[in-house]
Amino acid sequence: MLKDITLGQYFPGDSFIHRLDPRTKILIIIAYVVMVFLIQNFVGYIALALFLALCVAVSGISPKYLIRGLKPILVFIVFTGIFNLFLTPGEEIWRWGFLKITVEGVRFAAFMVLRLVFLILGTSLLTLTTSPIALTDGMERLLSPFKKVHLPAHEIAMMMTIALRFIPTLLDETDKIMKAQSARGASIDSGNIFSRAKAMVPILIPLFISAFRRADELATAMECRCYRGGEGRTRLYELKFGAVDVLGWIYMAALLAAIIGINMIFGKF
Amino acid sequence: MIRLENVSYTYMSGGPFEKKALDDVSLNINEGEFVGVIGHTGSGKSTMIQLLNGLLKPESGKVIIDGTDLSEKGVNIRDIRFKVGLCMQYPEYQLFEETVLKDICFGPLNMGLSQKEAEERAKFAANMTGLPEELLDKSPFDLSGGQKRRAAIAGILAMEPKVLILDEPTAGLDPAGRDEILFKIRDMHKRMKLTVLLVSHSMEDVAKLADRILVLNSGRVEMFGTPSEVFAQSARLREIGLNVPQITMVADRLRAAGADIPEGIYTVGDCYRILLPMLKR
Repeated sequence: MLKDITLGQYFPGDSFIHRLDPRTKILIIIAYVVMVFLIQNFVGYIALALFLALCVAVSGISPKYLIRGLKPILVFIVFTGIFNLFLTPGEEIWRWGFLKITVEGVRFAAFMVLRLVFLILGTSLLTLTTSPIALTDGMERLLSPFKKVHLPAHEIAMMMTIALRFIPTLLDETDKIMKAQSARGASIDSGNIFSRAKAMVPILIPLFISAFRRADELATAMECRCYRGGEGRTRLYELKFGAVDVLGWIYMAALLAAIIGINMIFGKF
Repeated sequence: MIRLENVSYTYMSGGPFEKKALDDVSLNINEGEFVGVIGHTGSGKSTMIQLLNGLLKPESGKVIIDGTDLSEKGVNIRDIRFKVGLCMQYPEYQLFEETVLKDICFGPLNMGLSQKEAEERAKFAANMTGLPEELLDKSPFDLSGGQKRRAAIAGILAMEPKVLILDEPTAGLDPAGRDEILFKIRDMHKRMKLTVLLVSHSMEDVAKLADRILVLNSGRVEMFGTPSEVFAQSARLREIGLNVPQITMVADRLRAAGADIPEGIYTVGDCYRILLPMLKR
């Protein structure tokens, strides 16, 4: 169960996508998300799918692995689809008792599902090709203009780094504790919802304790190395935009133009 | 008691990080035996012990505990877990109850025992591990490191398993705490006729306690024999990243320098008995 979570995983590589500056990638992903919601018809989604497929092919990430990232939110996607399918008012095409499907419902459901899938796939590609450190570095640099209005950009980035860093550690820890308690006969995956909730106690308490312990240790370790926030801090690796980034922006601008064009030519739906 | 037949296990099967942890392992452990398990980090020790109580399922091959094949249908895996008590590395991180006594009772209560019976067993187990009675009403989080470790081991022992598997029970303890826990484990082994599997990085501990030593190397059984058989092959042990007890090293050096000392010396006592007549001469 825990193995399915691909969030925050990173595949090192040296592809075009890997070499892009994290700031470029973050800006591209923002543009991408905007486009996912901007698209008005299926032709637009085809264009977006082509773009995404191209990115995946270039990145060298196995498409199977990327798609596996959808598994944890499959239930959510299915529910969204079903709700929109049955609950959208409009021109009826099918009815059984109180259940009815409308033309608008079919379209809306398809759109919502497509949007969710595209969002997950796109952001997964970002995290799979960008190391968490690079990602938060990029985030910090992008947010630093807002420091003037007292936005703690460095602190936000540091918190994100730490949170991302500890996802695999805590997953590991959960796995270990689950095994240790199973070895003492705890039945975690059987019984009704109440006994299951009760069975979570022996796992959650040790997990919380270990999370706090780790936080404490980390704080001490950071203080030992004289960490005192972002003020006047210089960095070992400065982020620099290169030729690949310019290419990346050009591609993105082209896609944006294409999507807007498709929207204008094919109209809504 | 424990039999493995051609057992293999692979982590992340099919993925980019595929790793074969166990490769065609077959072995037999008799009832009442004390087996030391040694191997380099990543040699498959932890995987093997998790297969023994059904936490992991073998990819191929059979795990047979006390005559029951774990892969057979209708086998209640929880019964196996009560029979094969597994104490994982750093077991103190599994403590969660309000009091030490309640925590030790967790296993026995899961077995369906009455509160009274569970408490009796818990007290007995605490006594076996050398946990003072007055600590039983304290919160497990107020105990010292060594005491926590003991409470956790007692939590396994209270289920009265036939087989006790300990994964590095002394990791991170001070020498006094280490010796005491090892002594208690030997005591339990003798008094309760427990079959014990002790995973350890310390060659000295394993040499002192085990009837037989199982050496794993990259998922395969490298050696399985008495301590003197195993430590006689000190060159091979070093080759796979392991060590031999210091006294074995001394004996090896002396032999290399021309002294007439047999191979497979692993306790100070043995070495003493051989060296003394030589020195007197």
